[in-house]
Amino acid sequence: MPNTLRDLATMNFAERMLHIDRRIIFLVIGVCTLLPLLYPVGLAIRVSSEVRGVHDYIESLPEGSVFLLSMDYDPASKPELYPQAVALLRHAFRKNLRVIGMTLWLPGTGLAEQVMTQVAREMGKVSGKDYVFLGWSPGSGSLIINMGQDLYKTFPTDYYNQPTRELAVLKGIQTLRDVNYVVSLAAGTSGIETWYVYGKDKYKFELGGGCTGVIAPGLYPLLRSGQINGLIGGLRGAAEYEVLIGQKGRAVAGMDAQSATHFAIIVLVILCNVFYLLMKTSRKQGEAR
Amino acid sequence: MAFELLLGAWVATGLTLFIFTFLYQDNPLLQLAEHLYVGVSVGYTIVKTYDTVLIRLIYEPMVKQGDWSLLIPLGIGTLMLARYVPNVTWLSRIAFAFIVGVGSGLAIPRIISSFILKQVEDTVRPLVSIVQGEPVFTYNLLDPSSNLNTIVLLIGVVSVLFYFFFSIEHTGPVRVAARTGILFLMVAFGAAFGYTVMARMSLLIGRLSDLIEYADPQYGRPSLWLGLATVAIILLWRAQRREQPPDTG
Repeated sequence: MPNTLRDLATMNFAERMLHIDRRIIFLVIGVCTLLPLLYPVGLAIRVSSEVRGVHDYIESLPEGSVFLLSMDYDPASKPELYPQAVALLRHAFRKNLRVIGMTLWLPGTGLAEQVMTQVAREMGKVSGKDYVFLGWSPGSGSLIINMGQDLYKTFPTDYYNQPTRELAVLKGIQTLRDVNYVVSLAAGTSGIETWYVYGKDKYKFELGGGCTGVIAPGLYPLLRSGQINGLIGGLRGAAEYEVLIGQKGRAVAGMDAQSATHFAIIVLVILCNVFYLLMKTSRKQGEAR
Repeated sequence: MAFELLLGAWVATGLTLFIFTFLYQDNPLLQLAEHLYVGVSVGYTIVKTYDTVLIRLIYEPMVKQGDWSLLIPLGIGTLMLARYVPNVTWLSRIAFAFIVGVGSGLAIPRIISSFILKQVEDTVRPLVSIVQGEPVFTYNLLDPSSNLNTIVLLIGVVSVLFYFFFSIEHTGPVRVAARTGILFLMVAFGAAFGYTVMARMSLLIGRLSDLIEYADPQYGRPSLWLGLATVAIILLWRAQRREQPPDTG
């Protein structure tokens, strides 16, 4: 970082660009994000096979099947995982599946409850009859094992303190073996891997996943090996899911901004490399003189 | 509009703007938002843990349903607190031994099965598929299960393992394998970085979307008013700092 104006004056153009105030870069990224949000272009969204995997499995489930959505995230990951939760719940409610909601992350309990009640109200579903929100309980791995042994002992009451044994939506469900499909929306551990290790591997239900962009590359090996049957990655994945169910929401609205910022970052990376090479060349020429 | 929604919009907008002031420089508004975040998170965690664990999972089953067998896990858990009593600190080791023993017993076989055996099984797939008795080789790079990708995966795994093999000098064919491993690692790091950029931009998009939504008159335009207030406070704070003599102590 140049300390004085004199330092700056002695630098050539490439050096000055490499020492640019980082707040200018923040501003560029901010503008690139804000403008497409205010004036959307509507760039095309191609649906990937991994997102289609989750969608198609839910689509194939008959009415009344049991779908468990574990919203394993906290407010820090809301922008990526909340749109995924909304899209999945809309799809499940539209298919008249019996939906069980829960979370392995204590700080996300309120968020998970909010998204369930909001989408259920929008789709005209009733708590206890069409869906249940179990809330949070400690243990993660051991909690999943307990759910595999006896759901009612693990969650004697739901989030609203209603006895789970009396809920119509849970009729005929005793353990995780009775659940047709589990999707974990994960922001880290505990999440998809925990559900696989302690749940699917032991109790043999089908498992899908949704996750933040940061952890997505680490989950692709599970996808290829068939340990999960689909993966919704980040806001992009949520947008693809919204396209699949034909209900565009916040994720689709954010895709233009996502593309614009990615383009800006690619340009910045290229410029940095060009300026770096120019600087090195001019230094070498200076030394040769 | 309900009062709690309005209040939520104003609080969310204010705290978002306060945190964004970090992009300019560290300041009291940012510190206020940070301290609030920590305080609210800890408070929420304590209340939810108390309600779920102590009341719903321990007190109610024991007192209302007479399930006194819960005294055993409760007793083991309570032993943890012995760490704070110097004379009986050793009692906490019983609780730790229980947790480590049960945790390891549950985790080790399951993790080996899920992340090592399953992944090895996926890595050593047949290089050529047999379809209706005939050998078939698929070239589609976009299909994760194609034969070409199976070969790429196998080369990647083996070469990266060579790179992390330090018992012999990386010369000759080993050097070629290790160099190939570096290439695969660079691609993996690039993919991880790309996804990280996407994730961080998504967070920014999420906050800016909320700020745009809260600029609506139905919320009372908190984005506008709090934005102006934030800028004004930062300018005042800067002016005040300039007037103060530099700290010589």
